[in-house]
Amino acid sequence: MTTTTIPGSPTNGSGPPVLAIRDLHKSFGKLEVLKGISLEMREGQVSVLIGASGSGKSTLMRCVNRLETPTQGTVRFRDTEIGPANLTRVRREIGFVFQRFNLFPHLTALENVTLAPRCVLGAPAEQAEREARELLEQVHLSAKADNYPAELSGGQQQRVAIARALALRPALLMFDEPTSALDPELVGEVLEVMRDLAAEGRTMLIATHEMGFAREVASHVMFLHLGQILEEGPPDQIFESPREARTREFLARVLGP
Amino acid sequence: MFPVLLAALLLLAGGGVARAENALEQVRERGELVIGTDATYPPFESKVGGRLEGFDIDLGNQIGKELGVKVRWVNSAWDGIFPALRTGKFDLVMSGVTITDERKQNLLFSRPYFLSGQTLARRRGDRRIGSADDLPGKIVCVQQETTGQTAAEKRGLPPESIRKFETLPEALLAVRNRQGDVAVGDLPALRDLIRKGYPELEVIGGVFVQENVGIVADPRSGDLIRGVDAALQRILDDGRYGRMYALWLGEPLPAADVARLNGLAAVGGGGVDSGSAFTIRWDLLQNALPLLLRGAVTTLYITGLTLLIGTPLGLLVALARLSGFRPLSTAAAFYVEVIRGTPLLLQIFVIYFVLPAVGISLPAFVAAVLALTLNAAAYIGEIFRAGIQSIDTGQMEAARALGMDYGAAMRWVILPQTVRRVLPPLTNEAVALLKDSSLVSVIALTELTRVGRELSTNSGSPITIYLAVAVLYLAMTLPLTYLVRRLEDRWQPISRPRAKAVAAKP
Repeated sequence: MTTTTIPGSPTNGSGPPVLAIRDLHKSFGKLEVLKGISLEMREGQVSVLIGASGSGKSTLMRCVNRLETPTQGTVRFRDTEIGPANLTRVRREIGFVFQRFNLFPHLTALENVTLAPRCVLGAPAEQAEREARELLEQVHLSAKADNYPAELSGGQQQRVAIARALALRPALLMFDEPTSALDPELVGEVLEVMRDLAAEGRTMLIATHEMGFAREVASHVMFLHLGQILEEGPPDQIFESPREARTREFLARVLGP
Repeated sequence: MFPVLLAALLLLAGGGVARAENALEQVRERGELVIGTDATYPPFESKVGGRLEGFDIDLGNQIGKELGVKVRWVNSAWDGIFPALRTGKFDLVMSGVTITDERKQNLLFSRPYFLSGQTLARRRGDRRIGSADDLPGKIVCVQQETTGQTAAEKRGLPPESIRKFETLPEALLAVRNRQGDVAVGDLPALRDLIRKGYPELEVIGGVFVQENVGIVADPRSGDLIRGVDAALQRILDDGRYGRMYALWLGEPLPAADVARLNGLAAVGGGGVDSGSAFTIRWDLLQNALPLLLRGAVTTLYITGLTLLIGTPLGLLVALARLSGFRPLSTAAAFYVEVIRGTPLLLQIFVIYFVLPAVGISLPAFVAAVLALTLNAAAYIGEIFRAGIQSIDTGQMEAARALGMDYGAAMRWVILPQTVRRVLPPLTNEAVALLKDSSLVSVIALTELTRVGRELSTNSGSPITIYLAVAVLYLAMTLPLTYLVRRLEDRWQPISRPRAKAVAAKP
């Protein structure tokens, strides 16, 4: 695995820009879900999106790789503005992990990981399989390589999904509430894998409700409220001394009294 | 399986088949004589404005009058008419039936009441056909199981050059459409049909086989036939016969005919009672089985070819319906609705009999496979469409998020899952198709059902033949169902885990 490790601090986000979102809007019919989002991510940065359900976290992430088409605004990935013409190519460089895993049920864990390298990059079967086994090793699932998704627990499925997202060596990893669909006792194993990835210095954009995890791995935290970034900053500042009343309210609710 | 079927059939057939030797008495008691006829045979019988009319109809009504009962006519397809008679659906059949030795084995005939003969009909001015000697090498169209067919067969023509249709008009239509060269049939019938509706055709070459036409009864209805014979004698003698002849044949009765008919009075009869039509006769199978098997092979061949072309075509229809390109999806939807909204039988007729009007004249086999394929593709398309739509949208999203284009996502992610999911409905469609393929018998293809119907007409034991046909169909459909169940089992991981999922960390 080639990893980009920023010397010194792995999560300081001081590298070249990877993602730049400018004034992003998204409406579903009359309902405006995103109301002008702008953000920037640099290489090695781990950005975490927090906010209540319906605040637009998922939609924002899906607009980045255009699973949803933005109504307005631009998304730049490195030096390309993402549009219909370059979409398929850009998506290869953005790994996406879904809340509901979305593994391919007719393929084994190993085949789930090798499919994209083989049919998108045309990688030789042997090489794709070797790399896939390394990735499964990395998510601690070597033993399950030949199992079908239906034979795996939710946590295991999500780790396979992470390995699958890593298979194309993406420059950016996006996690759309990766533990929300899991039984509580399975959350830990997924977060552990993600923690390792962050420690490797990968560039990650994560939407999550796991505040402890967010505080631990994030280099930058954004609080999304009603389709806007209401407040952002280093995790310590957001969690210790939020400036906005809405942020304090939200944190009080999710962290408990 | 066999005994169960048999018992069920016998139960179904149970009511009212016990026909005693006092058939005439029963008819008189009932006050009604039921006569079956296939009203596609002018001038003997045809349906005009909802009413049956013709020489046979007038004569039958006169016979009823002589017997002192009312006549009820039942219009029935020709190739089921004798089994229906044998199973007590009618008392008599009057349908321009020629008396033959073969038929006399299982049926009882009255004395001859009409002198007829086989002749030819060709396209006007087609000089290749002048007489029956010109039949070899031509495509000969006949009404199935008629003496027209026998006359053609007796000329030593290869079976594949004889096209058998359900009705004589269809045989003439095929000649007109150049799907055949020449039709063989009764002179009066051919002349009448051509005069009324086929100006492009003409009768040629005169009568080449003389025939006697008689009234038919079940072998156990001897007393009824004696009554009919007596009635015929009176109708011949008092001049009623002559008037009917002039009315329906459009020419005066030849002077010698009455004398000749009287001289032939002994030609009727026959009808050795070979037992009830419901008796299983295994001895029949020895001759029937090879023919039935050949029919089954044709059925398999047609069905297999249709599935082979229809399945990928159906997939294309589904992809077209689901495409974002409006004209394409609308066209596909239109196609599906037209096919689903019209009977398959009609589609077969259109492709075989109507397309020639616009210059596309297809051989029967091609027309059959084409009609079935177009039909199956619509249904299979709907199966695939439902299958594709049933796949979770997250699958397409996951594939697209991995940088796969639409085609690759379909090919590697959506369709493999779809195929597994549509396998059961697809099997249903294949089984339905195998059975529906019997409909192509209307365009003269001798598949299994057709062979069975032909054999049952003259066999004397339709039940034997039909049971054999049923068993052959099951022999084709059951393995198919079994095979697919095995496949489903093999693909089980998709629907059910092989082992219980383990939640613990590895």
